[in-house]
Amino acid sequence: MKNNLSVKIILWIAGLILLTGLPHVIGIYYTNMVVAFAIFSVFALSLNMLLGFTGLLSFGHAMFFGMGGYGTALALTHIPGLAVIPAVGIGAATAVLLALILSPLVVRVSGTAFAMLHLAFGQLLFVVALKLYKITGGEDGIGNFPMPGLFTESLSTSPVHFYYLAMIILGLCVWLMWFVTKTPFGQIQVGIRDNARRIDYLGYQVPQTKAVVYVLSAFFAGIAGSLYGLSHNLVSAEGSLGLWMSFYPIIATMIGGVGSFFGPILGVAVFQGIDELILRYTESTELVMGVILILVVMFLPAGLMGFISSLMLRLKSRSCKNQS
Amino acid sequence: MYISQAMHGIAYGMILFLIASGLNIIFGMMGILNMAHAAFFMLAGYFCYTVVGITGNFWLGLLIAPVLTACLGVLMERILIRRSHAAGHFGELILTMGVASVIVALIKKIWGTESLPLRVPDILQGMVSIAGMNYPIYRLFVIGLALGVLALMMLLLYRTRLGKIVRAAVSDRDMVNALGININLVFMFVFGVGTWMAGLAGVVIAPLLTVFPGLADQVGMDAFIVVVTGGLGSLAGAFIVAIIFGLLNSFGVQFVSQFAPVLMVAFMALVLAFRPNGLFGAKDR
Amino acid sequence: MNILETRNLQHSFGPLKVLFGVDLQIAQGERHAVIGPNGAGKTTLFNTITGTYRPTAGEVFFNGKNITGFPPYRLARIGVGRSFQITSTFANLTAFQNIRLAILAKDGIRFNLFRKVDQMKKISQETDEMLQRINLYEDRHTKASALSYGKSRALEISMALATDPELVLLDEFAAGMSKEETQDAVALIRRLTEGKTVVLIEHDMDVVFSLADRITVLHYGKILATGKPEDIRNNQDVKDAYLGDLEV
Repeated sequence: MKNNLSVKIILWIAGLILLTGLPHVIGIYYTNMVVAFAIFSVFALSLNMLLGFTGLLSFGHAMFFGMGGYGTALALTHIPGLAVIPAVGIGAATAVLLALILSPLVVRVSGTAFAMLHLAFGQLLFVVALKLYKITGGEDGIGNFPMPGLFTESLSTSPVHFYYLAMIILGLCVWLMWFVTKTPFGQIQVGIRDNARRIDYLGYQVPQTKAVVYVLSAFFAGIAGSLYGLSHNLVSAEGSLGLWMSFYPIIATMIGGVGSFFGPILGVAVFQGIDELILRYTESTELVMGVILILVVMFLPAGLMGFISSLMLRLKSRSCKNQS
Repeated sequence: MYISQAMHGIAYGMILFLIASGLNIIFGMMGILNMAHAAFFMLAGYFCYTVVGITGNFWLGLLIAPVLTACLGVLMERILIRRSHAAGHFGELILTMGVASVIVALIKKIWGTESLPLRVPDILQGMVSIAGMNYPIYRLFVIGLALGVLALMMLLLYRTRLGKIVRAAVSDRDMVNALGININLVFMFVFGVGTWMAGLAGVVIAPLLTVFPGLADQVGMDAFIVVVTGGLGSLAGAFIVAIIFGLLNSFGVQFVSQFAPVLMVAFMALVLAFRPNGLFGAKDR
Repeated sequence: MNILETRNLQHSFGPLKVLFGVDLQIAQGERHAVIGPNGAGKTTLFNTITGTYRPTAGEVFFNGKNITGFPPYRLARIGVGRSFQITSTFANLTAFQNIRLAILAKDGIRFNLFRKVDQMKKISQETDEMLQRINLYEDRHTKASALSYGKSRALEISMALATDPELVLLDEFAAGMSKEETQDAVALIRRLTEGKTVVLIEHDMDVVFSLADRITVLHYGKILATGKPEDIRNNQDVKDAYLGDLEV
C-alpha cells in the first residue's frame, strides 16, 4: 500500500515537471496544440458527463462551449480592466445560465428526443448569434479583445504564459469532473443511465438530478469554450457554436470510449493526431471523419478504451491459464 | 399576396412532410433515427441534376433519382446498420451521422460546392389562374405529388398484407418476429421506401432552391424538427406540423425575414415543453 | 389504524377499465397477499398505489395520509417501497453498488458532491451487512447483469428493502424461480421484513399460504374476498373464480 502511494506521488511529480517544462522543449506550435488538446479534452469530458455517465446524448453541446466563449469575449471587450480569471468565470456563468434556462424543459425528455431537441436549440443559438451582429459581430465574431495576463501585459504576446494558465484551469476541471464520478451523486447519476425508473422508486428525483448534471456539464463546457476563445483571441459563431463543434466531442468520445472516464481524453488525442495527418494529405476532413465514425461504431463499439480493456482481460486470462 | 405566400408555405410544408414521413416510417419500424436521411434527400437532387444533364428529361430524373437513392438506402441498411446493433441506440445514431458526413463529402468531391440550377419542364412553368387568382403551376404540382404519395402510402399501409405487417411491427416488433415473418426483409423494404420518399422530396425541391451542399443542413434540419415536434413515429403529427412549419416559414420570411428559423424552433420548444414526446408522440422507446 | 388503505380505487387504460373500485385495507405489521387470475388487475393495483399511474378515481391512504397520485420518489421517502416482477436493477453496476444506492437513498444522501462515496465508511458497512444478509457478499463485485437469476431476484427484492420502508409491495418476487430458489426467497423475505408491513402479489399458492397472514382475492378488477388463509381456501366464490378460469 505505502509503496503504491509513493509510486503515485513520484508519478504525479514527474508529470507536473514534464508539463511545466514542456513548452520550452517542444516549441510554440506544439505548445498551442497541447493547449487545444487540453481544451477539447475538457469539452469532451463534459459531454461524456451526459452521454457516458447519465445516458443523455446531446447534438447541441456546442451551445455551452460557445456561450462560454461569447461570455468571456464580451466581458473582456466591454468591462475595462477586467482580469482574465473573472472573465473565464463570466464565460462559465453564461453557459450555466443557459443551462438553467433550458433545464426545466430538457430534463423531462431523454433518448432521441433529447438529442434532437439539442440539435434544434444549438442551431437556434447559432442563427441568433449570426443575426445579432451588433452584439456578436455576426459572421466575423468578436476578435481582438483585450487579454490581460496575470503577470504580463497581455496573454496574446505570451503563449507560454497562456499555456500555464490554461493547463492549471483545465487540469482542475478534469480533476473536478473525475471527483464527481466518485461521489454519491456520481453513483446516482450512473443509476439514472442504467435504470431511471428504479432511481425514482428508491426516492431520488430523476429530473432534478439530471438538471444538476446538466448544469455541471454546461459549466465545464463553458470553461473549455472560454479558454478556446482566449487561445484564438476570437469567438465566432462558426468556430464556437457550429454543428461541427457539437459533433466533435461526440466523435472523440465515441472513439475513445463512452463507458470510461478517461476515454474521451484518449479520443481527443487520437482525433487530433488524425486531424493533423488529414490536413497534411487531404482537405476532406468530413470524408475521413465520416469513415472513422462508421468504422468505430461497426468494429469498436466500446471505443478504444473498451478495446484496450477487453485486450487486457484476454491477456490476463491467458497468463492465468499459462500459470495453471 | 397572402394566398401566394400561403401556397409557398404549403408547398414547402408538403416537401417537409415527404422527408419527415420517410424518416418517420423508418423510425417507427426500426427505432432508428436516420441522421443520413437529409443527406439522401440532397443526394437525390444531385442525381436528378445529372440525369437531366444527360437526358434533358426532368420526368426521367423524377423517376430514376429517388429509386437510385432508395437503393443506396437499402445498401446502407444491409451493410452497416444491420451489423451495428452491438453499439446500441446511440451507436446507430452516430453511425448514420457518419454516413451523412461521407455522403456530403463525396457530393462536394463529385459535383463541387457551387449551387446547381435545375430547370422545370415548360409544362410546369408559369402560372395558372383559378377563380381569378394566379397560382404557380410548379407549386401546385408539388402539392399534388405529395398528396399522391401520401395516398399511395395510405393504400400500402392500410390495404395490403405488407402494410399490415409494417403497422404491426411498428406497434410490436418482437411479436411480428415471433410470428415467423422475415422481419429483415420488411426492414429492408421500409428503409427503401423511406429513402425513396426523401429522394422524391430532394428532386422536387431542386428546381425551387437549386442544388447545393448546404441543402441537407437547411431543409434536413427543418424536417428533423418536424418529426420531433410532431412526435417520432407519428405520420399524422408529421403532416400537421409540416404544414404549420411551411406556413410559419413562408410568412416568417415575409414578416420577420431573418428570424424565420427562430420561429420554427420556438414553436418546437413550446410544443415539447408541454408534450415532451411531440404532439402525437407515443412514449419514448 | 390501517397502514395502507385504498378507497374506491379505479383505473382505466383508455376505454379499458381494469380496476372497478378496490377497497383494500392493510393492517400494520401484517403480510398480505393479493392473488387472482391473470388479468385480474393485480399489477395495475400496485402501479396505482405506488405512483406509476395516477388512478382514474379513488384514493390511497398511507398511515392516514392521502397519498393519491404521489410520484414514486415521494412515496419512497415517506416509507413505501416496492420491487418489480421483471428484475429492475442497475445492470452495469455491481451488486455492492446496487445496494449502496438504496442505502444512500435511505440516508437521504442525494446531492452530495463533496465526498468520495467509497470513503463513507458507514454506508459501505451497511451495504456489506445487507449483502451478507442476502448471501450476496461473495458476489459483491459482480455486475448485476452477470448474476444468476436467483441472485438477481434476491438483489431486486433487497433493494426495495434496503431503503428500510415501513411498507413494502413485492410484485411476484418468486416469478420464474425454481422450487429451491423459491424456498430461499421465502426465507429471505421472512428475515428481511421482520417488523415491516408487506403486500405481495403472488401466483405460487405454496408461497402465498406459507407467507401471508391475510389474503385478498382480486377478480376482474374487484375484490372477491379478503380474509385469513383458511377462510380463503374454503371460500366458494374464490373456488368458482379459479375453477371457472381453469375451465376456460
